[in-house]
Order: sequence, then C-alpha cells, then structure tokens
Amino acid sequence: MDNVLEVKDLATYFFMHDYIIRAVDGVDFTLGRGETLGIVGESGCGKSITSMSMMRLVPDPPGRIISGEISLKGRDILKISEDEMRKVRGNEISMIFQEPMTSLNPVFTIGFQISEVLRLHRDIGKQDAIKEAARLLRMVGMSDPEERVNEYPFQLSGGLRQRAMIAIAMACEPTVMIADEPTTALDVTIQAQILRLMRQLKETKDTSIAFITHDLAVIASFTDRVMVMYAGVAVETSTVHEIFKNPLHPYTQGLLGSVPVLGDRKVNADGSRKLLNAIPGSLPDARRFPRGCRFAPRCPKAMKKCWEAEPAKVEVAPGHQVRCFLHHDEVRVISKRDLGAAGKRVLKNQQKISGKKKGSADGSKTDTPIARN
Amino acid sequence: MSSKNETLIDIRGLKKTFPVKASVFSSKSIPLKAVDGVNVQIRKGETLGLVGESGCGKTTVGRCVLRLYEPDRGRVWLDPDPAVVAEVEQFDLEYEQLQSQLDDVIAGGRIRGAGQKSRELKNRIRKNRNTARRKAMQQDILSMGPDQMHKMRRNVQMVFQDPWASLNPQMVVSDIIGEGPYTYGTHKGARLNKWVMELLDKVGLPRNAANRYPHEFSGGQRQRIGIARALALTPKLIVCDEPVSALDVSVQAQIINLLISLQDDFELAYLFIAHDLSVVQYISDRVAVMYLGKIVELGTGEQLYNNPRHPYTISLLGSIPVADPEIKTQERILEGDVPSPVNPPKGCTFHPRCPNRIDSCSQIIPVLEKSQDGHVIACHNPPNG
Repeated sequence: MDNVLEVKDLATYFFMHDYIIRAVDGVDFTLGRGETLGIVGESGCGKSITSMSMMRLVPDPPGRIISGEISLKGRDILKISEDEMRKVRGNEISMIFQEPMTSLNPVFTIGFQISEVLRLHRDIGKQDAIKEAARLLRMVGMSDPEERVNEYPFQLSGGLRQRAMIAIAMACEPTVMIADEPTTALDVTIQAQILRLMRQLKETKDTSIAFITHDLAVIASFTDRVMVMYAGVAVETSTVHEIFKNPLHPYTQGLLGSVPVLGDRKVNADGSRKLLNAIPGSLPDARRFPRGCRFAPRCPKAMKKCWEAEPAKVEVAPGHQVRCFLHHDEVRVISKRDLGAAGKRVLKNQQKISGKKKGSADGSKTDTPIARN
Repeated sequence: MSSKNETLIDIRGLKKTFPVKASVFSSKSIPLKAVDGVNVQIRKGETLGLVGESGCGKTTVGRCVLRLYEPDRGRVWLDPDPAVVAEVEQFDLEYEQLQSQLDDVIAGGRIRGAGQKSRELKNRIRKNRNTARRKAMQQDILSMGPDQMHKMRRNVQMVFQDPWASLNPQMVVSDIIGEGPYTYGTHKGARLNKWVMELLDKVGLPRNAANRYPHEFSGGQRQRIGIARALALTPKLIVCDEPVSALDVSVQAQIINLLISLQDDFELAYLFIAHDLSVVQYISDRVAVMYLGKIVELGTGEQLYNNPRHPYTISLLGSIPVADPEIKTQERILEGDVPSPVNPPKGCTFHPRCPNRIDSCSQIIPVLEKSQDGHVIACHNPPNG
C-alpha cells in the first residue's frame, strides 16, 4: 500500500496571553491509499487540532503549527503558499465536520454549497454544477435530489445534513478525507446509515479516510488501523485487531475497559455488582502537562522513570508502535521547537504576571475554551 | 432481595403534549405529543433504564415524574397503596365514560334538552374529578398540592445531563449539597456540615471541595457534586437524565461505577435515562425502549439483549457498532428518519420504518402485551414468533 499522506512530528501550539497550550505535540502517522485510520481519544487530546492542522485551518493567532511535515502524495503542504493550499483544500484533501448544522451555511441552498466546491476547483458552469450537485446528492442516498438542491440546511434532518456534508466533501473525489466525529451528533440508527454510506463510498472511490472519534465501537467496526491519542501525543498506533486484542499502552487498556459492552455479565461470581475498569483521575490541564509521560499521573503501572522522562514512540512489533516505558527504554528526544516571536511574548507576559502577584502563583483556574476543546 | 418486588413508582397513562407553532408567522399552535400514554413501574432498589433516540420523549417522562413538566394526563403513584390505586382507577374509568357521553351530547347539536343534559354531565365530571383528586392526593404525585409536593421532593431527586449548566456558579459546593437538608431541616449546624463531608467522601471528592465553586471542577467532578446533591436528602428514587453522556469515556466509567456502588449503600432506585444502549443495559435491571412517545418494549437487560422482540429494538441493537473488530454486526440498518412527533404516523408509529409490517400496522395502535417471562412488547407482528 503506497502512502498518500505522511505526517511526521506534527506539533501545533496555541499561544495565549501568558501560557502556551501544547495541543498537539509530536504526532506521526501514515495513511495508505484506500485505508481508514481511526484517531481515537478523549476531548482535549488534540485529535481535532490534528485534523485542522492537516487542513491548515488552525486559527493563527493564537494557534501555530510549530514543527512537522505533512506530505500529501509527496508534497509537503505545510511549505506551500496559502494560494496553493486553497487549491488542495476541498480538492485533494477534504473534511467532514462534526456538527452538520453549524458547518453548513444557513443562508445558502444545499445545491449552491455543493456546487461552490465544484466551481472553485473545476472548470464548470453554474447550471452544470447544480446538476452535478444533484448527482452527488443521489450518490449519498438522498431521495429527490433535483428538489433537494434548492432546499436550505434547516429544512433537512440531522442525518440528511450530514449526507449533504459528505456530498460536499466527496464532490471533487479527494485523495484523503478527514472525518472529524461525523456521527457523534447523530442517533444510532442514523449513525449506522452514515457509516454504511461512508464505507460504500470508500470502496467505490478508493478514498483514504482519517476517521476521528471518541467512540471505540465505531473505531472497531469502521477502521483498518488505529492511532490512540492522549494529551496531545499519539500513545499507540496499530491495526484495529491488535489494538483491541493486544493493547500495550496502559491508557489504551484503560479506555477499552471503560466501555460497557452490550451483553456483558453485570454480576461477579460472588453475586456483587461488577464495576467497570475505569481510569482514575481526569485529563491533565493542557497548560501544564506533566513533565514525564503525560499519562503517568493516572497510570496504574507508573514507575519512577515515567515521571522523569517522556518515552519515545517505538515500533515493538511490526506495525505496532507504542510510547511507553513498559515496552522499551527509549527516551524521547524532543527536537528543539522554535517558538518564535509569539513564544517570546508569552514568556514576557508570564514573567510580568508572576512578578506582580507573588504568593498566588497558581493563578486563576478558569478554563479557556481552547484548553477544554 | 424481597424488597425489590415492591412498587415504588407506578406511572400510568402518562401523557404530555407541547404546543408548537404551526409555522413561523402563524399564531395557531398544534400539539406535539412528546409522551403518549406511558405505563411503567419502578420497584424499590431497582434501576429502570429508559432508552430511545432523540425526541422519543424519554427526558419528558423523567421530568414529568418530578413535575418539572406538568403532564396533561396520567398518574404517577409514589409508594402506592393498591386499594387506593384501584379506587381511583374506578373514578378515572367513570370519568372517561362521562367525558365520552358529554362529547356525544355536544356532537348531537342543539336538540331539545341538550343544554340541560350537558350541564348535568359537566357537573358530574367536576364532582368525579374532585373526589378522585382528594383520594389520590396523598400518593399520586400529579394530584399533590404544594404541601404534599414539598414532602414528596425529599423522596425523589434528579441528576441532570449537563454538569456545566446544572450547578449554581455563585454557590460553593457545601451550600449546593447542603441546601436540601437545610431547607428540610434534616441536618442542622455542625451536623449538616458533617453530613456534607460524608457525602463528599461517598461520591469520591476531596473534603476541601466544600469551600470551592463549581467552576473549579472538571466535568466528571461536577457530575459527582450533582450526585451528592441528589443524595443529600436520602431519596428513594433518583431520576438520572443522561448523567454520563456529556462526559468522556474514561470519566463516564467512573460515574457509572459510582452510581452502582451508591445504589447498594443507599438502597436507591434509579430511573436511568440515556440514549446509549450499552450503558443502559450495563447499569439497569430492566430496560424500557421508547419510540415516539410510547414504550415499545420492556424487559430485563438480558431479555432485551439476547432476545429482542420488537422490530425497533432489534434494529436498534443491530445499528450499534460493537467494540470488537472480530465481530461484524448483522446489517439491520433502519431506513429513514424518526417521523415528526407533531404528525406521527397512524397506527403503530414505527410502521413506516418497520421491516416486519403487516396491513394492520398502519391501522391499529398495538398495545403492550406481557409474555410469560415478563417481557413486554407492543407489536402486531413480532419477528421470530
């Protein structure tokens, strides 16, 4: 399988007034042609920022891609100009967003929004584009597409809106499609319809999909390979069968133990109620991640070493990479990241504030939207 | 446990409609049937799960039990005395008859003596309603006056879905948790303080949380505060309205574990409302599946999972991806969307999407029927027998 997308050491930071959020800090993965990679993690683990970095849609300021390489069919899209990127976006790499209501424009018809993509990337007239839009709507399983093209997003149900989103994403038959939680806002029966549709499209068009979700069950049924993320880093990458059968990282194990499986026995042998293997604690604050392994504070198997150094990502079995000292001893050497002028500004503000209020060094604890995102 | 078979809550014929505007500019409103005749019992110390897709009315049922919404019809018996229930049932039956007689008279038009007759009937209806209310007042939550409601609320508490919106940001945690006991006078002064500390221990929060504000906590911790608040009056029933759906997977498991262990400590019954069938199945003793304001199937978790009988439950289970790549679920994907509850389909509301429909499905509304093993479904033509 030749790789259409390669991401190497991607790091996206957000420079706030007096602190830096290291939202994505060292993510590597590859995506083969026609392959589906699942990116799984809890909220705030950086999975959405990873996908926005791939589209170069990170709002700047405050966000900036600090380091890394994203090569799409051999071309590093982090190095090309914004004009060139506009030709790539929607054409070679496209995206399905989570909220179909907020990501479609309410004042334009569905047909217009689909044809917009076509007219931007292809030499096609307005009327033909609308006709093509209707064909795409038929492809994603909408009835009466000729009438639907004249409807506005509010006239469609959640499932139909998501189908329209998929039609927009598929309009130019992209090489890579990023699906950022495409079914999270939908009911299970509608989710099943959308997943079936995406599976059909993937098979007929040979599209590679990066599928972002927090739902392990969707991952199990839909993807070929899985990357598990925690607090901005990819902790484990392997095939979907390996991840579910032989998870190596304690976080992956904890995540799998946290999900109740339908039909599970609820009572132990001695008659007491069976509890889930929950991971203790909660996600670390994105502004001050622990110094060593970021999972160490919640890890049941944390050793002294875990608190001191960050483990490197090592391939412990063919195609199975894990970032944990239980499985290797390699320490991660973080390449010096150039934080630039924004980094200097944050540092200066930090000093100013810590000079002002000595004693209450902890500062306020209010979450910024980005820290929670 | 023998106490498990005593009925704690008996919901009968619960109906709730909301007015919706017919169109943006119209002043007319049409009724949206959010809950359309729900009958279900919750036993002492039991967890009843309520699942369904968005808009099926599961939250409305939960809120009607606490009268956070005022239901249109029905009764919610708390700790019912069977004799009283039977008696009131008689009155309700009579009321139905009188009402239909009155409708007939009105439909008959202006004929001789019609006015006299309708006045008479209206009088009898009023009397009937008054007596029924008087008899039901002590036990039926929906007939209670303010005093009884105040007493009742000690026994029925709620945990809300969104931990970011359900805690007052201006109150410290000890006030949030202690407000109930303070109001009811169950704990006072130093004892109240001690009780709050005890509750914090129970829900797994540090004791120094008492003097902090809600914004200082994460989503999972906030949900723990909400649970402590619900526990503070040692209720018999807690209505949990999607208590874990706003939480992350790892935190969700912590809260589920907490709810399970508290149930044993406090001998609680839960009405557990959620859309995630695997969570509901895990925590519940019995599960009710709702579709468009009606319960379509009710059974124990095992019955529902191993032997689902209503076509909707079967396709719901078939739609859920299994967290195991080795298992490929049978593709039983439902076509179409949930119809609008403003204008639900005639007959069985599920029939337009049902793979098993027969002619009578579009005509006759199926009623819930109990099989020998206590498994209840409402279907004319259940698959596999």
